[in-house]
Amino acid sequence: MHTSYIRAVRAESLKLKRSPVWLAFFALPLISAFFGTMNYKMNIGVLKSEWYSLWSQHSLFLCYLFMPALIGTYCSYLWRLEHTRHNWNSFLTAPLPISSLYLGKLTQAVRVTILGNLWIFLLFYVCGKLAGIQSPFPKEVPEWFLCGTLGAVVVCCVQLLLSLMIRSFAIPIGIALAGGILGLYMTNHDYGMNYPYSIYCLGMRANNPSMEISISTLLVNSLGYIIVFAALSIFYLRKHEIAAN
Amino acid sequence: MITLQTEFKKIKRKKIGLTMCALIGIQFAWLLWSGSHPDENERLDGWISMLYNLPLVSVIMMPTIMSVLASRLADVEHKGNTYKLLNTLRRPGTLYHAKVLCGILFILAISIAQFIFIIALGYARGYAGHPEWNYYATAFVLNFACCLSLYLLQLLLSMVFFNQMIPLVAGLGGSMLGLILMYVKMYSFLPWGGFLSAAQVSMDWNPATKVIHFYYREHSPVELCAIAAIFVWIVVFYAAGRILFTRKEV
Repeated sequence: MHTSYIRAVRAESLKLKRSPVWLAFFALPLISAFFGTMNYKMNIGVLKSEWYSLWSQHSLFLCYLFMPALIGTYCSYLWRLEHTRHNWNSFLTAPLPISSLYLGKLTQAVRVTILGNLWIFLLFYVCGKLAGIQSPFPKEVPEWFLCGTLGAVVVCCVQLLLSLMIRSFAIPIGIALAGGILGLYMTNHDYGMNYPYSIYCLGMRANNPSMEISISTLLVNSLGYIIVFAALSIFYLRKHEIAAN
Repeated sequence: MITLQTEFKKIKRKKIGLTMCALIGIQFAWLLWSGSHPDENERLDGWISMLYNLPLVSVIMMPTIMSVLASRLADVEHKGNTYKLLNTLRRPGTLYHAKVLCGILFILAISIAQFIFIIALGYARGYAGHPEWNYYATAFVLNFACCLSLYLLQLLLSMVFFNQMIPLVAGLGGSMLGLILMYVKMYSFLPWGGFLSAAQVSMDWNPATKVIHFYYREHSPVELCAIAAIFVWIVVFYAAGRILFTRKEV
């Protein structure tokens, strides 16, 4: 299992070599950080909590609306490689267990999501310094990063399942955008922890850095969703005659 | 006409209509959620506030919805590798027109559904009086034009790039840009900010009383130019798409 997993990850890396798909994870947070900082500077009279105010400006729209769709885009791309032409035949007949093949895809999605999150926090730090914030950098940031990354893995698992089942590239992205918007409603009505697209925003403390959340609930719910959606994807790959569709 | 019919045959069972219904349904749910329990003052301002809310929701969602629509229509050819075959049967320009026309019919249906929904919602909530039809008609035309300009841009990208990630990310970026532009000014010359320029209503918020006052906009010359820019973008994207598509190496 261990060797086959590494081989699957290497194969996926090869498929993605020289593909500019990571550019999206670079560009969208950059736009959000630029305008978030601009808005912070323009409303500095009202936004007085320095780093925390800046974080609310950086994270609100990015985390709620665009990050799920961005992760969805990447997951759609990962499966598109197989949905195109006769690639399913070679994918499913590869001398590796199905679970390893799936974990290879998930690893790629998680890897780019972690890098995306690191980029978001790097931009936060740089923009804060450029905006002239003097107070120390919030010590909660590592916790936001870890919780947010766990929530992002949940989105990866959901989107990988959707993109596996739906052959269209665009529809899962539309669902991710709709899921993100619905997440705003769920979070407002205190159902956020039970809704896969909201866990990421809650983990990142998007728009509300002082929000108190139950880490144990976040951990249990995230792991539960990850296991369920990963199992469903592997089950679908094993049982469904995808190549003949 | 035959090419247009073929276009609809190609997307049969692709559930594009269903996808559009689902995405517009989210937009409706959003509108339903915002102001779901109107008080007396909100009922008085109800019809005018609808014309304020719709562009704001559209500026966020429409760039992505249009990218999904365009990608679905163009991806049929990429996946089937049909450009070579189709271009031997028809002129490439005809195929491009069919795609544009097919998209226009979808956009028209979406725009009609949006306006039927907000009018029905207004009556269901018991808003005072009736909609001001001249403003609603103008808003309908401008909303349609904004969607069309975004669709033509996305169709261009979806046709040019085999990798559909690029047009979809452009759509997402457009949604984000539109949302951010909303905080800058109530008009924009960029295609993604067209919904803001086209908005018929603006508002004043009094921080002391926390009361919102909606009013019909008196467009300044710059704002009128921004509205004209929507139609300029339509022409530019249509022409660029046609040139790129007819010269595309198959």
